[in-house]
Amino acid sequence: MKIKLDSYFSRKKCKILLIMKISAILMVTFTLNISAIGFGQFSFKAEGKTIRDVFDIIEQESNYRFFYNEQFESDNNIVDLEMKNKDINQVLDRILASTDYTYKVFENNLIVISLKDNIREFSDLQQNIVRGTVTDENGNPIPGATIAVKGTTIGTTTDLNGNYVIENVTPQSILVVSFIGYKSQEIVVGDRAQVNVSLQEEITALDEVVVIGYGTQRREAVTGSVASIGGDALRNIPSTNFTQSMQGRLPGVELSQTSTRPGSTLQIRIRGTRSLTASNDPLVVLDGIPFVGSINEINNNDIKSIDILKDASATAIYGSRGANGVVLITTNRGQKGQKARITYNGRQSVNKIFAKYPMMDGPEFVAIRAASGRYTNGPDEFDNVNTDWQDLFFRNGNEISHDVGLSGGTTNGSYNFGIGYLQDQGVIPTNKFTRYSIRSAIDQEVGKYFLFGFNSNSNYNMNEGNQIGLYGVLSMSPISDPYNADGTLKRSIRMPLDDQFTFTRSVVEDLKDEWLSQTRGYSTYNSLYGEVKIPGIQGLKYRATLGLDFMQENNGSYTAEGVGSNNPTTISTASNNNSHSYHWNIQNLINYDRVFAGKHRVNAVALYEAEQYTYFSSGTSAKGIPSAAFQYYSLGQSVGEITTSIPSFPSGGYTQSGLISYMGRVMYEYSNRYMMTVTVRADASSRLAKGHQWHTYPAVSVGWNIKNESFMQNIAVIDRLKIRAGYGQTSNQAVGTYSTLGRLSSRDYNFGNATYATGYYVTQLPNESLGWEYSETWNYGLDFAVLNNRLSGTIEYYVTNTKDILLSFGLPRTSGVSSYTANVGETQNKGFEILLNGTILDNVNGWTWEAGINLYMNKNKLVSLASGQTRDEGNGWFVGHNINAIYDYEQIGLWQESDPYLSILEPGGNVGMIKVKYTGDFDADGTPTRQIGPDDRQIIDVDPDFQGGFNTRVSYKGFDLSLIGSFQIGGVLVSTLNGPSSYLNLMTGRRGQIKVDYWTPENTGAKYPAPSGVLSADNPKYLSTMAYFDGSYLKMRNISLGYNLNQSLIKIPDVRLRVFFIVQNPFVMFSEFNKEMKMDPETNSYGNQNVATGGYNSRILTVGFNSPSTRNYVIGVNLSF
Amino acid sequence: MKQVHIKTIIGTALLALFLVACSDILDEQPRSILEPGFFKTEQGVNGGLTSLYAHLRYIYGNAYYYNSGVTGTDEATYAQSADANFKVMDVSGQGNITSSATGGTNTLWDNAFPAINTASGIIENATEVGLTASLIAEARFFRAFEYFQLVQTYGGVPLDMGAGELKFNTSPVRISVRNTVPEVYTKAIFPDLLTAVNDLPDVGRLTGTVTKTVARLFLSKAYLTYAWWLENPNSIPTYPDCARTDPDGHNAQWYFQQAYDVATTAIDNPGTYGLMPTFYELHVGGNERNKEMLLYADHTQTSEKYNGASLTYGSGGGADNFAAWMMTWNYTEIRSAKNADGTGSSSSVLREACQDLGRPWTRMAPTIDAIVNTFANKTDDSRYDGTFTVVYRGNWPKGGDQTAFYYGANGLPVYPGDPILTFLPDEPATPITYPAGAGPSNVGGGILPGRADYVISPSGISRVTYPGTWKMSTYRTDNAGGLGQPNASICRPFNIAKFSEFYFIAAEAAVKGATTTAGKSAKDLINIIRARAGMWKFDRAQNAAKVEDHSTALIAATPATIDIDYILVERSREYYGEGFRWFDLVRTQKWDEVAATYRIASSVKGDHNAQTITRTIQHYHYLRPIPQGQLDGMEMTADEKAAFQNPGY
Repeated sequence: MKIKLDSYFSRKKCKILLIMKISAILMVTFTLNISAIGFGQFSFKAEGKTIRDVFDIIEQESNYRFFYNEQFESDNNIVDLEMKNKDINQVLDRILASTDYTYKVFENNLIVISLKDNIREFSDLQQNIVRGTVTDENGNPIPGATIAVKGTTIGTTTDLNGNYVIENVTPQSILVVSFIGYKSQEIVVGDRAQVNVSLQEEITALDEVVVIGYGTQRREAVTGSVASIGGDALRNIPSTNFTQSMQGRLPGVELSQTSTRPGSTLQIRIRGTRSLTASNDPLVVLDGIPFVGSINEINNNDIKSIDILKDASATAIYGSRGANGVVLITTNRGQKGQKARITYNGRQSVNKIFAKYPMMDGPEFVAIRAASGRYTNGPDEFDNVNTDWQDLFFRNGNEISHDVGLSGGTTNGSYNFGIGYLQDQGVIPTNKFTRYSIRSAIDQEVGKYFLFGFNSNSNYNMNEGNQIGLYGVLSMSPISDPYNADGTLKRSIRMPLDDQFTFTRSVVEDLKDEWLSQTRGYSTYNSLYGEVKIPGIQGLKYRATLGLDFMQENNGSYTAEGVGSNNPTTISTASNNNSHSYHWNIQNLINYDRVFAGKHRVNAVALYEAEQYTYFSSGTSAKGIPSAAFQYYSLGQSVGEITTSIPSFPSGGYTQSGLISYMGRVMYEYSNRYMMTVTVRADASSRLAKGHQWHTYPAVSVGWNIKNESFMQNIAVIDRLKIRAGYGQTSNQAVGTYSTLGRLSSRDYNFGNATYATGYYVTQLPNESLGWEYSETWNYGLDFAVLNNRLSGTIEYYVTNTKDILLSFGLPRTSGVSSYTANVGETQNKGFEILLNGTILDNVNGWTWEAGINLYMNKNKLVSLASGQTRDEGNGWFVGHNINAIYDYEQIGLWQESDPYLSILEPGGNVGMIKVKYTGDFDADGTPTRQIGPDDRQIIDVDPDFQGGFNTRVSYKGFDLSLIGSFQIGGVLVSTLNGPSSYLNLMTGRRGQIKVDYWTPENTGAKYPAPSGVLSADNPKYLSTMAYFDGSYLKMRNISLGYNLNQSLIKIPDVRLRVFFIVQNPFVMFSEFNKEMKMDPETNSYGNQNVATGGYNSRILTVGFNSPSTRNYVIGVNLSF
Repeated sequence: MKQVHIKTIIGTALLALFLVACSDILDEQPRSILEPGFFKTEQGVNGGLTSLYAHLRYIYGNAYYYNSGVTGTDEATYAQSADANFKVMDVSGQGNITSSATGGTNTLWDNAFPAINTASGIIENATEVGLTASLIAEARFFRAFEYFQLVQTYGGVPLDMGAGELKFNTSPVRISVRNTVPEVYTKAIFPDLLTAVNDLPDVGRLTGTVTKTVARLFLSKAYLTYAWWLENPNSIPTYPDCARTDPDGHNAQWYFQQAYDVATTAIDNPGTYGLMPTFYELHVGGNERNKEMLLYADHTQTSEKYNGASLTYGSGGGADNFAAWMMTWNYTEIRSAKNADGTGSSSSVLREACQDLGRPWTRMAPTIDAIVNTFANKTDDSRYDGTFTVVYRGNWPKGGDQTAFYYGANGLPVYPGDPILTFLPDEPATPITYPAGAGPSNVGGGILPGRADYVISPSGISRVTYPGTWKMSTYRTDNAGGLGQPNASICRPFNIAKFSEFYFIAAEAAVKGATTTAGKSAKDLINIIRARAGMWKFDRAQNAAKVEDHSTALIAATPATIDIDYILVERSREYYGEGFRWFDLVRTQKWDEVAATYRIASSVKGDHNAQTITRTIQHYHYLRPIPQGQLDGMEMTADEKAAFQNPGY
């Protein structure tokens, strides 16, 4: 009755000891392994054994399985007998002869023992047979699942292919289908002859396995901080890549939108930001190989699970790349012995704009232009015109996704193939992301000792239309008409100062062959491995893995003559840029995994790893394309200037970096109560100067499974209780390639009209002693489950101190060099995370209701800058404040007629202008001593107080409804729209203007200043203070309604079909920004993007005039057979 | 069993391949970036020199820097679309110049020091790579040039950037100490320029590279400026505080004499340089880089890459030359009528990439005083006609409008090329009938009987409608009969120094007591300039050739005794709106006197009632504030930072 589903790669089943005791009714056991004894013939001698003992022996020695009830179990009849070469019927006749029981042998070697009366009874109903298959969620058969008829002793189990036959069933019978690790299901037979059942996995801490980097670990034994999400949960939120699906679902994992363009990925921050100048992005590892591509190249449908290592004790195995956390992505593989199966997932959505940009309409615009008094109507403007340029521009987006997969297994191997197609069409005309992906995975055992495997993920993707920006649409005067009186379109719109190319949907679509930007990428990520079990040493394995990646990207863009310009003869331009990346990774891993004396479990890993990444790019741009048909395909024939680099692609060129590492890890577990993990990794990187290349990272973590202590056994209310603590050091590969060498910048110059030269000057000083930033993290965690596992959760607290922060100083100009990089600063992140999951209704009259919530807080602060310095105003860094602080004036209202000291505080100012806080001195009579100036700027921390997400799911008879949302409390939302950098809030009536409530002598309570007032650049003075909003919001991300089709409706066995309807981004609550602007409060830009001028440091995420957020209506189907 | 054994061997061998150690993957070999070591090669040093020329673009042609040299002087004030940069510069109560509201005074500081360091790097590495003395002299010229500009603008500035005085700094220094004005002149400017004069060639290495003559101009100007500083006639304070004594033991008189001597030496040895025959030819588009131009930040229409700025749309920053946009008012608001009764307005002066028009930013405006007083003589002196655009002509066919004619003032037809709006040279005998508000011209243009063009007289110049700038404005050869690319930054070189200035420098030195040589008295020198100003080739106001010589009349009008005030006015006539007026007024300590008031009408269209505005120019304004970025970047105490800042800011 033991079965070993020997597939090393199965993470759910390897730990299942198949001794099953099904409720109190019956007990069923079976075996897969045919014994060495001749099939069907038994010879044995039994003295003083119970009948059940004999049955046990038979089960051990054959593939017969017994099925009997409690009463039989307790009868304890003793038998004495000896048999030689008898078949099963002969044996059973003998054994049961002296009892009230009889038996029946079914075709699948199931032997049901029953009271003689009962046997008679069901032989009368024998014609009433039900057959079926029990599968898991992926359609893989479940062998050994139990099928029992509720309220009776009738029951059976599934065979190797998951098939079962159960006899003596009435239409009223309720089948109870169960299997360890899965949720039981009850099904009314009705008039069906075929009842196929799909069981859903029941994730409990007891059997869950997590990927921890260079191996896996039982969730129960994990001592670090690991957050996981399964592929299915991920796919509940359809999206182009996993970052969108993961948003708000894991505590401590902040996913922020940086663009709303199709195919864009979110910024991942694990437990906050720690680095000032270097990347804060986590390391992504795809199937064991560090992933060097773009996240949008990974097809969601290929993901089996994502495990995120959050604390240093968990990430220290990635050493110099572990400080920002590690995202481990595991893709689907086939399973040994699995029947071939095809899966199809398809969906289609319509994406409508969540909210248009709140631009002033015609009359409002006329009013603000008059209030400003600066401009009169341009030649194409008329006070009685009211054009909504956004209506003329946007289209509905849509997203289509199709995925087909084939997986299966043989006795010694398995395979998985998949192809995927995804197209995400944005709301901006011609803006589109398309991806074709193909993947394959093969695992094959060779002989007793070898295992080989291959895994390949490749994709071809294309991004189009990203050259079309929104500024030209939004800044268009609403009192201008795009059409001439004769109905033809105006080429450009002339406003008082600006003459702007007419931007409408039809213009952009008509020009699609003359105005384009296409980025095509092809990437392939491959890994091969070989594993050998070392003969003679139990538990010792050697594994070598080779990762080989290649990425290629080409961007071609073409703008025909006059396109996008008010001047029809503006010269045509085209550019073509290519990049290639090569990445290889070699891992040599020795793994020793063994349990000693039943109590001491040891897993030790030793690793040698090397890798290298090479990037090469080149670009050409040209002017004067001779034929529009050439687009960007034949730059050499251009009649204008041809250059080998363009401003948007400046450095071009080449980088190469390498890493060599040794790592050792020991995980020790005693009696499933005390656990410890010790890791040491040493990394050497080419990015550092010789003599500074090696660094070693230690980590240790311990866990105590309190529930497994004997003194806890009687506390029934607690099902699980574990505490853990860890410490570790990690780094961030913060030093850019070649940055220890210093750098020259170049400037081109012409000496007259014919002599050209390029100049060089020092902009970055060399620093050979540059080293990594390193983070020290302490992590404390508590895992618990109570009330029969109905409520479970995790609470964690951590402190991360990041030292030797790389800082690029803004040097004073008098040093002659603009910047210098050194390891000087220190930052700290402290926070806690709570994750709670509860089952509120557990199958009450068919209703199940589950809910989960996560909440996390991260307190980020800068602890020190260079040598005692407490503020770096030039860079906006202040000790004791967020890394993402903003240094600006604080708005305290508007200047009103009655306010004193206007002429002192704001010389040249006016009533109705923005009033900012004055922090200077006052004379004895209360008069301010100086005008407001830079000393009055304040430090504004932008990080939120809390963030989190929630989800709930209600299911009833195949229907399920789920809601997923996220929220943020506190923090500052920066809207460049409202500030000066968008140029959409000029308030002078010069061009398109966002709708704002502005000061006039009649409307003195307004929020925004008087349009006629003092300007700074082209904007009202201090307008930057209007860009800050309370960052709190609650956002419903996903409402989905699904139905798993009753399988009897489709008379095909083994078929699973689910249809769903989803609304994404349905609504937002509690957001100040949303209240005023009606828009999505989620950021959509880096601080320096989607602005007309200026902006913020790119690390500050903002809402700018990017493609507007959409509300998506998705229908989809999941099918497998 | 045997089979297993073989497999084991093969498998182990395969796996062992993965164990190959690659120690060379820890080596770095940059292939696409240059490290500072490149600066020690000949190519690197040459590249350094090029960057010195290239950096000029970030100062000269930058509109904000330009603003800081013009707005607030007698030449100009802020205009209707002015932001705070322009208003604070006006020093007329529209906000104060501060370390962060710099009005463009930060531009020089931000760009000069990196150039100085590059120059020092070239000078230090030159010998090692065998650079010729003349190339080293180019670096010396630039180091002196930067220091000279700095010392005039901010007072004493640091000579030690971290590695020692005048040494190439390669360490991250976050502190700074300012030297005094005499130290900057005597340790940096004079020695470098003297070497440059000695070692530079007579003819430039390349178009626009510096020569002996260029070095002489700045040496003579530096002597002149330092002499004024030593004399300090109006007791303007300096900073850092120091005695007005020369470390080299000379007095102001000695330096005035040096200025005179060097300038006249240059006049006598012009090399390939000289005065252009007419003021018009000096500035007309297509005549760039003529023999009168000594130093300029070059730009070109032939290559966008090397031009360093877009040839189609400039956003006003970086290497863009966009200074001339500032004093270009929004003439595109001019309207003509479709019908004789004045109905049906249409835009008749379109934005065009030509020298008369260009891109309007309406940030700065000439004062009425400049038009009326400085350019009092508009008939003999060709410089008014060669400085301003006073006639705005219809150009609608270039924008694709095939209308044969429109109706202008008095219901009279106007044809393409006809004046639509004219700024009259003088007050007309018949009073102009101005509209209330923008009127039919849409820009407040008035009407005179019988004239088809709208008119505005000098007294009616306002902050929204004023004569535009011409000298440095857009010029393109690729308009192909259309409007061209008016929004591109200007791809003509921005002039920094002209040969004519030798005459002014020598004359000013002479006025200040320098012993003159025969035929080179102050009056002699000024008359050479005035004689040239009387030479006409083209009358822009009439849009017709005018080959006439009015030099006799102008020379006759020269006063018998030239004083400094006369030199300053003459300078303004010659160099109006080129960006250097503030330096002239500060050098001669006349700013608060010359620019104390000005007249102009308001920003409201149709307002032609000039107001007199009073400026409050104080002594501390003679030095510009140290930019906030410098203070923020320094690692010093608040007191030390405050002491680093010029007093008053």
